[in-house]
Amino acid sequence: MANRAVPQRPNGQTPGKICQFKLVLLGESSVGKSSLVLRFVKGQFHEYQESTIGAAFLTQTIHLNDVAVKFEIWDTAGQERYHSLAPMYYRGAQAAIVVYDITNQDTFERAKNWVKELQRQATPGIVIALAGNKLDLNTMRSVQTDESQTYAYENGLLFMETSAKTSANVTEIFKAIAEKLPKNETTNTAGQGRRLVESEGANKSLSSCCK
Amino acid sequence: MSTSTFSKSDEYGFVRPDDFDYAEYEKFMSVYLTVLTKCSMRWSRLLVSNPQLKRNAQLKKIVRKGIPLTLRAQAWTSISGVQKLKDKYGPNLYKRMLNKPINEDIRNIITVDVPRTYPDNIYFHPNSENQKTLFRILCAFAACNPDVGYCQGLNYIAGLLLLVTKNEETCFWLLRVLVENKLPDYYSKTMDGVIVDIEVFSRLVKKKFPEVSQHMNDLEMPWALIATKWFICLFSEVLPIETTLRVWDCLFYEGSKVIFRVGLMLVKYYKKELLECEDIISLAECFKSIIQRPFPLNCHIFIKQMFSDIGSLPMSMINDLRRQVSAERNADKSTYKNRKG
Repeated sequence: MANRAVPQRPNGQTPGKICQFKLVLLGESSVGKSSLVLRFVKGQFHEYQESTIGAAFLTQTIHLNDVAVKFEIWDTAGQERYHSLAPMYYRGAQAAIVVYDITNQDTFERAKNWVKELQRQATPGIVIALAGNKLDLNTMRSVQTDESQTYAYENGLLFMETSAKTSANVTEIFKAIAEKLPKNETTNTAGQGRRLVESEGANKSLSSCCK
Repeated sequence: MSTSTFSKSDEYGFVRPDDFDYAEYEKFMSVYLTVLTKCSMRWSRLLVSNPQLKRNAQLKKIVRKGIPLTLRAQAWTSISGVQKLKDKYGPNLYKRMLNKPINEDIRNIITVDVPRTYPDNIYFHPNSENQKTLFRILCAFAACNPDVGYCQGLNYIAGLLLLVTKNEETCFWLLRVLVENKLPDYYSKTMDGVIVDIEVFSRLVKKKFPEVSQHMNDLEMPWALIATKWFICLFSEVLPIETTLRVWDCLFYEGSKVIFRVGLMLVKYYKKELLECEDIISLAECFKSIIQRPFPLNCHIFIKQMFSDIGSLPMSMINDLRRQVSAERNADKSTYKNRKG
């Protein structure tokens, strides 16, 4: 009863700034997109993760110093033919994780195509991270770390090798994205920080980034 | 007390979530059992006297009232026109297709997707007979539909068909009749049909529930994010299982326009709640929670209202919209090409 004057967050922090970002996961089928999200959001891993149809939605918040970064995560279907639906999914996204499977060179090539497409067509300034997933299968690796690292560097991407199974680098990659995302959008007109570019519409204060 | 008379998994083998509302379900079932008994008697009589049912207003009405689980395989086969397909391709098609080689890439995706189809369902555990059967059905389907091959989502449809019909060949034919005769080009390599129909749906919402349409626009929520799965998986894992199957009863008879009706019904019923959502997150959560809500759980009322409360939705209107959207898309494509060229 004594401490009801100051609202406490579950982790004991006092409420600070909250930033909300749309993040989309792209990549070939069965590289582990849904598994990365499931690990990040629920700390779980399923050997047989249901194949995603269309887009699946989840949220997770991480804390960086005094800022709470809330991710609005859209996980997508990977099969090539779903490609034509993708622009509707990544429209307005401020961040993307492009995932490939380190044991499958073809998925890396597909990832490069996604990066190209995002750089050409997605929200300008979108933060893109490249995730080489299935690090637990390191002995079966066919995409070398150096190769991806160089590619990521040349294209201005964040890069990590991850394992949704062991959880290696999963939180880290989301955290790296959160750190790179601009969090001082308060100067943006009508508080439209959530959508960095598309700021049409006036009475949408609740969809703003920082509150 | 009879709070736990239901097992952890339902009769189709789907494991009920921890927060499954048994009380609500029991309340519903106590009434619905009478409905089921009645329709069971009606369908047995119908199918005994005539396995090849004739299309007429009376049959349509009876289909909308629901088909009992034990007679679904037979009834779906009869009302959907499977026999016509069989006459066209010959009755041994399935066996022939099982031996036909298919593209290796397609085979690989199917191999990966089969264990990822309803992994929590007790009848689809790893290396189960059902998984092997599903694999064969999807491969045979790809072999005789090279234009479609395999599209993710078909695994869920075929999987559910298998759970209901418990018969490999029946499942194969019902999958074919759906893809070839009931749904326009949803699973093709460009998925044009589904893209068009999502846009058609968004225009129908705009027409019938303009405030919801406006609200979705304001919050920058494209219908594609929500509705792709509705169209591709035909509400499997979107609606409660019994409701999904009642929708499929109608779908096998009436075709794709049923999907629009279901979608519009959901919008109508949750309109107030959707309008109260203040951001895209609460909007997405609202749609996601539908599967556990009492309204679609009560499949009988849901289906009844879906035909009585949405107003008329003639096929001609849907086809006009489809033509209109396709024409706009083609015009966009050629403008884009010209600009690029």
